[in-house]
Amino acid sequence: MGTESLRENPPGGTGTKSPPQPRFMADPIGILLRPLHHLIWSNPQRRARKLLEFAEVEASGGRDLVRAAELTPDPLLRARYLHHARDEARHADMFRAQGRALRGSLNDGESGGLARWAAPGEQGMDGLDLAHETDADLLAFLHLSESAAARDFARYARATRGDAATSGLFRRILRDEDHHMRYTHAELVRVAPGGTRRRLWWARLRRLWKAYLRFATALAGLIAGVVLTLQYFLLLPPFAWAAKRAARRERPGWVDVGQGRRR
Amino acid sequence: MKILGISGHYHDSAAALVIDGLPVAAVQEERLSRRKNDAAFPIAAVEFCLDHAGLSPDDLDAVIFYERPTLKFDRVLTTLLQGYPRSWRSYPKAMKNMLGEKLWVRGLIASELGIPTRNVRCIEHHQSHAAAAFLTAPTQEAAILTADGVGEWATLTVGRGAKNADGSTEITLLRELRFPHSLGLFYSAVTSYLGFAVNEGEYKVMGLASYGQPTWLYEMRRLLRPAGDGAFMLDMDYFDFQGRVESGFSDRFVDLFGPPRRSWQPIDLTSDEGRRYADIAASAQRLLEEVMVGIATDLQRETGLSDLCLGGGVALNGVANGRILNEAGFKRLFVPSAPGDAGCALGAALYADRVLFERPHRAVPDHPFWGPQPDDAQLLRIAAEDRLTVARTDDSSLVEQVADALARDQIVGWVEGALEFGPRALGHRSILAAPHDAAMRDRLNRDIKYREEFRPFAPVVAAEHADLFFDLPSGGARLSRFMSGVFPVRPEWRERLAAVTHVDGTARVQVLDRDMAPRLHALLEAYGRRSGIPVLLNTSFNLAGEPIVNNVAEAYSTFRRCGIDLLVAGNVSVTKARDAAAPSLEMVA
Repeated sequence: MGTESLRENPPGGTGTKSPPQPRFMADPIGILLRPLHHLIWSNPQRRARKLLEFAEVEASGGRDLVRAAELTPDPLLRARYLHHARDEARHADMFRAQGRALRGSLNDGESGGLARWAAPGEQGMDGLDLAHETDADLLAFLHLSESAAARDFARYARATRGDAATSGLFRRILRDEDHHMRYTHAELVRVAPGGTRRRLWWARLRRLWKAYLRFATALAGLIAGVVLTLQYFLLLPPFAWAAKRAARRERPGWVDVGQGRRR
Repeated sequence: MKILGISGHYHDSAAALVIDGLPVAAVQEERLSRRKNDAAFPIAAVEFCLDHAGLSPDDLDAVIFYERPTLKFDRVLTTLLQGYPRSWRSYPKAMKNMLGEKLWVRGLIASELGIPTRNVRCIEHHQSHAAAAFLTAPTQEAAILTADGVGEWATLTVGRGAKNADGSTEITLLRELRFPHSLGLFYSAVTSYLGFAVNEGEYKVMGLASYGQPTWLYEMRRLLRPAGDGAFMLDMDYFDFQGRVESGFSDRFVDLFGPPRRSWQPIDLTSDEGRRYADIAASAQRLLEEVMVGIATDLQRETGLSDLCLGGGVALNGVANGRILNEAGFKRLFVPSAPGDAGCALGAALYADRVLFERPHRAVPDHPFWGPQPDDAQLLRIAAEDRLTVARTDDSSLVEQVADALARDQIVGWVEGALEFGPRALGHRSILAAPHDAAMRDRLNRDIKYREEFRPFAPVVAAEHADLFFDLPSGGARLSRFMSGVFPVRPEWRERLAAVTHVDGTARVQVLDRDMAPRLHALLEAYGRRSGIPVLLNTSFNLAGEPIVNNVAEAYSTFRRCGIDLLVAGNVSVTKARDAAAPSLEMVA
């Protein structure tokens, strides 16, 4: 069964309340973020870089789904995860092809410079320890990730309207994300009947906590970087002078082991 | 005595357990965590080793880490100081990296395992490599050569080892080359220049080299020059290991060789640019071979020994290994199944047993199978749940069935026994196929491995027939036991072994003794009866970007996602044909 027919007939949809569809809702955050998105996506080099980054994230997400398929005892979920993983691999190929095409036309250099800027839905499984996740918790987490991805891709599709190929790519992938969002919700209802809302709230809290950890780690890294850079310029010059002087005395070639060791 | 060896925090984390002088278990973390080249603390690998032996951490007499973090920190800090002020960007990163956890590894290990810090000891990186190469090799006395990117300070060491009649063991490293003069870093810089990932793409450079001519050798020799005492030195004008940690090459390198390849650019070997990349790869490869052969030749003359044990990441260069065996004067060359950093876990544990604790030497079983065992009942269950055609058969019928499938040009996923320790699939986690037709190589590249066309596939041949198909020098079969040497395919067989013959007429052949993997050996014989050629294409059982599969669930998911026709695990075989009686879950999904 192809993806198109799945979209028309969401799996397990009978008797299941459909989850919200973010891309059709009013999107105040999207409106606020529009200038930022415009800044990022209007530059073709950044656009190419972002697409190649997305390719990596999708590929990584696909590998995580394969892992989930290997670990689940539920045969239906195994089939769905493998199907989902194939979608992610295909998305990775699509992003990579478009990113490379853009780069090829720009003669762009390697990536670097712009900090990684991945929206919440683009974090793959966000470092989840899949071996210790229940199917229900994983599905709740996946559902929220797919929802966020669908919302973000809708924003990116709007932000790249000037580039028909890239915008079209986002719209095509968005349809799959929409399907992923639906099947994860339907499966969550199946494997955890009655506990769906609680699982989703728990997953939201975990995502929030992980976002905080990312932020805190980045902030700590920034502070440490500033302190170490100051230390480098303020404290190290005499030691650097001594190290350079010592280096000039060293001769290349063999060193007898045990002789002249730095320990 | 129970000794756990650990390597990690750089790339290829691993753990290995030695009990009473013999390995009991060893596995790379990536095979369990499913993150390729996983560098994290190998907690899953440690758990596997302990569970396998039924031990708790308290039962361990010692835990040995494969390098000395304080010496490494010394090197990192000193080179940053020497690079002042150019190293200002690297300094915060390096310090965060080292001070974060790498420097406190003894405490970290003690804390992770819940054991006293006094039970955790560290030995030097190249001692671990030397021990992994020498103590696992079936030789009593040998010269030792280790070469990699960099350990603490050393990048290359030469020495000798002896297993004495009184049971004592000596491993003496005589001389070393120190950072930044490194053969491994030289090759990694070229790898990066050619647009491949460092510590991952070196194989690709070696494969690409066969398509080129060493027309840049003169320029390469400006980068890496003789030091006057038989060693070499890098001209640091062409390298930048401080300012450009990821790439390692400087602007002068680019001035000399032209613009580097971008990682996303395809390599078109029919274009001038593609040929330039291949020629640069060929030149770097040739220079690496010359240097390794030169150092090995000097070492042979100095020690007068007939055996050489080779360790470190550079020992994965099968073309260089083949030349060392042919030209350096040694009769036998031993390369362990895991010569890189993962193998240091086993080397460190064995070194501690033999040298630190002075336990008597015991011959280590000569095989690479120290990892987890598959559970074929799990495959039976999963495949039945998915309504695929699955069967359990006895050994001989299974071998005949698989040989038939291979003769029909089917591709087989082969899972048998304990997982290999090291980067190569040596017959327990392999994808097997008929080796005759170049179309099979293309099909594997296209439908399964998704990798560059210029990368060759390796053959496996029953030892009894190896000389018929491959031009092996004396000692070549031994070197090929763990697929560590590249040798010519005999010209008369090249056409009939087209899928495994590289463009230069060579192959990285595995010569399989019956004792090492009896069932695969039987399969080779059965296939030989059908095709007249007891040779199979043998490539690792994984997809691009993924580690080699460990258990049957991973083998099964790989089988489902690519063009493998038949999956065999233990005595269970699965095909993709559906059981027509029931609707498939795939259709539902």
